[in-house]
Amino acid sequence: MRCGKPKKIVKITIAAFLFMLPLLLTGCWNNRDLTETNIVAGLGLDRTEDGKILLTVQVVEPAAIQSSSSGKGKGGGTQPKPVFVESYEGDTVFEALRGMLSKVDNKLFASTAQVLILGERLSQEGINEALDFFQRDHEVEYKMDVLVAKGVTPKEILEMETDMDSIPAVYVKGTVKNTVSRGTVKKTMLIDLVKDICCSGRQLAIGQITKAGEKEVGTEGTAVFKDGKLVGWLDPAETRGYLFATGKVESAIVNIPADTGKIAMEIIRSKGKVNVKFENDEPALLTVKVELEANVGEYEAKGTLDSPSSLHKLEELLGEEVKKEIKVALDRTQKDYSSDIFGFGTQVHKYHPQYWKEAKGQWKDTFSKLPADIKVDAKIRRTGVIKGPIKKGG
Amino acid sequence: MGDKDMFGKTKKHNRNKEQTADSDNCRNDKDEPISRSIEKVKARLNEAFSQCSDFLLREIICGEDGSVRMLVAYINGFVDKRVLNQDVICPTLEYLSKLQAQDKGSPLYELLKECIVSNSDLKEAENMQQAVNNIVSGEALLFIDGEERALVIGVKAPQGRQVAEPDTEVSIRGAREGFVENLLTNTTLLRKRIKNPNLKLEMLQLGEQTRTDICICYIKGIANEAIIEEVKERLKKIKTDAILDTGIIEQYISDSRLSLFPTVGNSEKCDKLAAKLLEGRVAIFCDGTPYVLTVPYLYIESIQATDDYFDHAFFAIFMRLLRLLALLVSNFMPGMYVALVGFHHTVIPFKLMITLAASRQGIPFSPFTEAVLMIIAFELLREAGVRMPRPIGQSLSIVGAIVLGEASVAAGIASNLMVIIVAITAICSFVVPPLIRATMLLRFAFLAAANFLGFLGIAFVSVAVFIHLCRLRSFGVPYMAPFSPLTASDLKDSFVVVPIWAMVTRPRILRQENSKGAAGTKRQEVRVKR
Repeated sequence: MRCGKPKKIVKITIAAFLFMLPLLLTGCWNNRDLTETNIVAGLGLDRTEDGKILLTVQVVEPAAIQSSSSGKGKGGGTQPKPVFVESYEGDTVFEALRGMLSKVDNKLFASTAQVLILGERLSQEGINEALDFFQRDHEVEYKMDVLVAKGVTPKEILEMETDMDSIPAVYVKGTVKNTVSRGTVKKTMLIDLVKDICCSGRQLAIGQITKAGEKEVGTEGTAVFKDGKLVGWLDPAETRGYLFATGKVESAIVNIPADTGKIAMEIIRSKGKVNVKFENDEPALLTVKVELEANVGEYEAKGTLDSPSSLHKLEELLGEEVKKEIKVALDRTQKDYSSDIFGFGTQVHKYHPQYWKEAKGQWKDTFSKLPADIKVDAKIRRTGVIKGPIKKGG
Repeated sequence: MGDKDMFGKTKKHNRNKEQTADSDNCRNDKDEPISRSIEKVKARLNEAFSQCSDFLLREIICGEDGSVRMLVAYINGFVDKRVLNQDVICPTLEYLSKLQAQDKGSPLYELLKECIVSNSDLKEAENMQQAVNNIVSGEALLFIDGEERALVIGVKAPQGRQVAEPDTEVSIRGAREGFVENLLTNTTLLRKRIKNPNLKLEMLQLGEQTRTDICICYIKGIANEAIIEEVKERLKKIKTDAILDTGIIEQYISDSRLSLFPTVGNSEKCDKLAAKLLEGRVAIFCDGTPYVLTVPYLYIESIQATDDYFDHAFFAIFMRLLRLLALLVSNFMPGMYVALVGFHHTVIPFKLMITLAASRQGIPFSPFTEAVLMIIAFELLREAGVRMPRPIGQSLSIVGAIVLGEASVAAGIASNLMVIIVAITAICSFVVPPLIRATMLLRFAFLAAANFLGFLGIAFVSVAVFIHLCRLRSFGVPYMAPFSPLTASDLKDSFVVVPIWAMVTRPRILRQENSKGAAGTKRQEVRVKR
């Protein structure tokens, strides 16, 4: 027994030591109550005229939201606002974020941010530096949507009150989700943005947000960047062409002009791939290959859709239409912006690394001069419940 | 055969207190003979049972010259007087009134034993101590003048309540019969289900003062001999004044006396007990309580229910998984909530976060304090529900529902989310009754750890609990079997339940010598591994 006792103590000590070890593991260790944080729903980033960073946050007031949604709020009297918006200027993003604490009652919790809206001026001057904080900090939601405000400041957007959702940022995120299914905005999550910044051979393209009314926003179109600086915009149609080429269209409605009226095609599946053809070790041709599957959604033209030949004809027409959209978008980025947002350069980097090493610097110019070959292969899957157009009169 | 390595823990049970000097007057000399003189016997009994108002002596004096003297001694109310009169006193009087004086002595005793006393349950008491013990156990004693032995006549009256459905264990299907307080009724109920002479019932008495009848029960050939021996050994080591319930035995024979987890099972359902015996377990009955102990008891048994075997296997599996979920929820939920709200805001979805934050708005307490307060309030309510007299039950539920549910939220003392969490936790803990007490305390441990370190803390405590569980043994059988050690064939009755026709082998981990059930085609001997 006498010799057994020290052994036991050693055992216990070892066990205790082993138990202490995991304490060194990293993790969220500080106990901070949820009520002691300000839940950030939206972030806005802009640059002031004198070159400072202007950070705007949209903070949620949970109690107000709860009472307004459950209808518990006292009728009449002043309803507490569901969100409040604060701005702060600073030389760096981090400084602005910390400086904001002097104006708000609790620590800001940014992991819940739904959207990050970048101002036009900031974008023009370059976003790479400003986004460093968002990549470096551990409390950042990588899935938040990033948008560039066109003709409006981020602050104005965040301050906008909407009737559709008590939290404007959630409303903005919702519109992005909808527009994505129309194929007219490039959904850019922070993580995508970070990836694109690192990606060699592709320029940034970020979704665009505008003010559509007193209480509405529009999220359509794309902001085109070159070397981290905003150089121009793509309108919704061009955006769709761009997305078709890069294979990012989930669904879209494409109208085909016909002899009478129009035919609306619903794209249900699309695959797109860009590549660069080389001749004599020099890039010679940009190729875009798109495969589509579509349903007939609306048919205002003459004739019926009951024969294979009529369907084939329609498929061709659809292919032509999409090809046109891609062409416009490609022309725009080649000629006006000379910014390779399609990622042709990535393909060159991948398959011709030797050439890329040497010609990386001139790619912008090479890209804008190269001819393009666009192939669209469209298939029609369903034509709807009826065969032809509804017969009028009778 | 009995290598006790597998019961490494049993050595500890030796440290029972020394047998104290017994003041009981009938125990002073163990072999005190029964006096030949009926007068002396009478005096001796009166001395032993002085101030025992329920002790009765009936003296029979007969024979033609009144020379045949007999004494019937019993405890009033304990014996069935009608049977006593009918079987003993009437025939004796009738026969003896014709008896001659010279016939007294031994022949009379044999005659009484073999021809006159018409009771079927007859034994002999050789000495005074046996006689007294039998009297206090409810037998009638017949002393005869000039005889050194006494007849023990089993005329014990059926005692206690009727066999009824147990309140604490309810099943939808299956027998409604539950055990009662009477030991003999209980063993009969069991014997009714297992009509087999291999069902062995070994009696012994425990408790210095109470001398309670204990019955060890097992099926020979199915139960592991080593475990039976171990049970007997541990029972024999119990030195205590009183055995009033199997709960007391349980505490004496548990492998790990300080563990929160039960290593001895109990049940008051006959069919459940029969099933456990048929799996190779050993049961311990105790007179005076409807709860019967079963050993070895494994962790997995807490989520098993008799209904599982009577129902379709798919439903049974669903119910098992549901119970497992309940077990996890009742342990972890308050802790998880505190960890989420206090530490890990990033893993909460945005909309849920707003709901959470809204419900926490304006609560003056930290989530931990709030949780502890609400859980204690609930435990109080539960305890009050058990202890209070039945008729006031109504007011308690009203107070509980209104004060705890509504008012505390309305007053801003507790968040309504916390009320929901405590309620769900409570419901879940009732799903697994054998572990209610363990989870009740563990919940606080998880809460405290979560408040201190978040999920990391919960992980700490879980690891500690798991280590403990895996170390625990019940009568030599690993507590976490069949998972640790993994016994593939025993997994058929764990989280999944295979249909009863596919459950061919008995639990291997109990190490029976005969592991195949009757449905098994081949008899396979599984020896106790050493």
